[in-house]
Amino acid sequence: MVLEATMICIDNSEWMRNGDYSPSRFQAQADAVNLICGAKTQSNPENTVGVLTMAGKGVRVLVTPTSDLGKILACMHGLEIGGEMNLAAGIQVAQLALKHRQNKKQQQRIIVFAGSPIKHDKKSLEMIGRKLKKNSVALDIVNFGEDDEGKMEKLEALLAAVNNNDTSHIVHVSAGPNALSDVLMSTPIFTGDGEGGSGFAAAAAAAAAAGGVSGFEFGVDPNLDPELALALRVSMEEERARQEAAAKKAAEEASKQEKGGEEQSSSQEATMTEHASGGTSEADNKKNDLSDDDNALLQQALAMSMDEPASSHDLQDMEMPDVAADDPELALALQLSVQDSTKDSSSQTDMTSWGRSK
Amino acid sequence: MSAAESAAAIQRNLVDLLDFIDWSGVECLNQSSSHSLSNALKQGYREDEGLNLESDADEQLLIYIPFTQVIKLHSIVIKGSEEDGPKTVKLFTNKEHMGFSNVSDFPPSDTAVLSPDNLKGKPVVLKYVKFQNVRSLTIFIEDNQSCSEITKVQKIALYGSTVETTDMKGLKKIEEH
Repeated sequence: MVLEATMICIDNSEWMRNGDYSPSRFQAQADAVNLICGAKTQSNPENTVGVLTMAGKGVRVLVTPTSDLGKILACMHGLEIGGEMNLAAGIQVAQLALKHRQNKKQQQRIIVFAGSPIKHDKKSLEMIGRKLKKNSVALDIVNFGEDDEGKMEKLEALLAAVNNNDTSHIVHVSAGPNALSDVLMSTPIFTGDGEGGSGFAAAAAAAAAAGGVSGFEFGVDPNLDPELALALRVSMEEERARQEAAAKKAAEEASKQEKGGEEQSSSQEATMTEHASGGTSEADNKKNDLSDDDNALLQQALAMSMDEPASSHDLQDMEMPDVAADDPELALALQLSVQDSTKDSSSQTDMTSWGRSK
Repeated sequence: MSAAESAAAIQRNLVDLLDFIDWSGVECLNQSSSHSLSNALKQGYREDEGLNLESDADEQLLIYIPFTQVIKLHSIVIKGSEEDGPKTVKLFTNKEHMGFSNVSDFPPSDTAVLSPDNLKGKPVVLKYVKFQNVRSLTIFIEDNQSCSEITKVQKIALYGSTVETTDMKGLKKIEEH
């Protein structure tokens, strides 16, 4: 939330036509500039940002430091590529523009995009750096594009001359699949000297990291709609807990099935019949009704009992007479279930098999 | 001369203007981060010989001191070492947010070339007329005694008096009956 006036120096020289950064170096640079402007104005509403171009016919200030984001984005339109970058003049004009800022309480910062080779020597760059430090101007350098020999050293020397207590930074971005803006988003240039980052930068970084349009859980931004995000998260946890309980029950029942055999299934059927008497007798309808019900256990049991007669057909047929003979109550239960099954159109085969086994 | 000076001092009820400095607005350009202005201005720090204000990128320093009320500035004490202490000091009154680029844009209210005596603690008496109505003071240290890269200042003290102004703390609310 540091109160800051920033001047962004854009490289619009011929070297920016190259397409090694997608879609072109110049376009990648423009995207990065737009993002930086947004981040700065959002982190503190009183922050101002200005833009100037370093190549073309000469150094030209497109917009003096202003907090109006629309004005800044508008001036990025219709920029032409051409000429050679003049780094020294660009930085000096930026310093002058910052000197005449309206709010003298703002800290001064210059962000330079250095994409083309640098024709100045190290000494003069160091002198410029010292002058910036003397006037307490911080400098951020984005080294991308052309990488001729000595460029990195010169820029590092410039940074060393300016740097006062780590307020100035340099970032090297090499050509590759990652967009220039994405790489910059995780650097202190965006996040602002490790204050924890503005919400804008952090959110944008998260989105970029996820690689999708919405990088948030459930597709809802907690910043925008915290209640909705919370509700979604809670219901997700509940669903998970319910499924775990159901799975646990199913596992228990599966193990009991192996031991108890028919007793378990018949008791299930007994409970089924109870419900059947309450609701419709159609098994299919039962299934449909219960699918919306909170009782997952019942759902599980229903599913199993539906499946059981079809699958373990023969098993039941063989075991039935023995069990019925031993337990009269069980026999009664079975009889009840049989009566209901006779009404069931979908379990016709079951009925006949039941009847036969009886 | 010194007798007349001290007599004049007693007459004018000189006070150390430390209490009237508005600390929230104090700024210093080109100071080294480890050796800051507090070492030279603040009570206790300025008496410590080991704690100095040092310059950073080159030998110049620009110090801006606003006051909480209007004061009259009589004299100034700048203490430093013989080699690295300040030499040419220019004072500007009531000019906010000056930079190194506009120090030469207007003439200073006063200029002092410090002698070794001054650096030991002898006050520099300023031009009376120019310092009657001071809201803020800018001290521009142009160079040092030996023209070295770093200027070191051990103590800066300002002496003067206040203009007749209402002491807000003394005001008490009238009790309603």
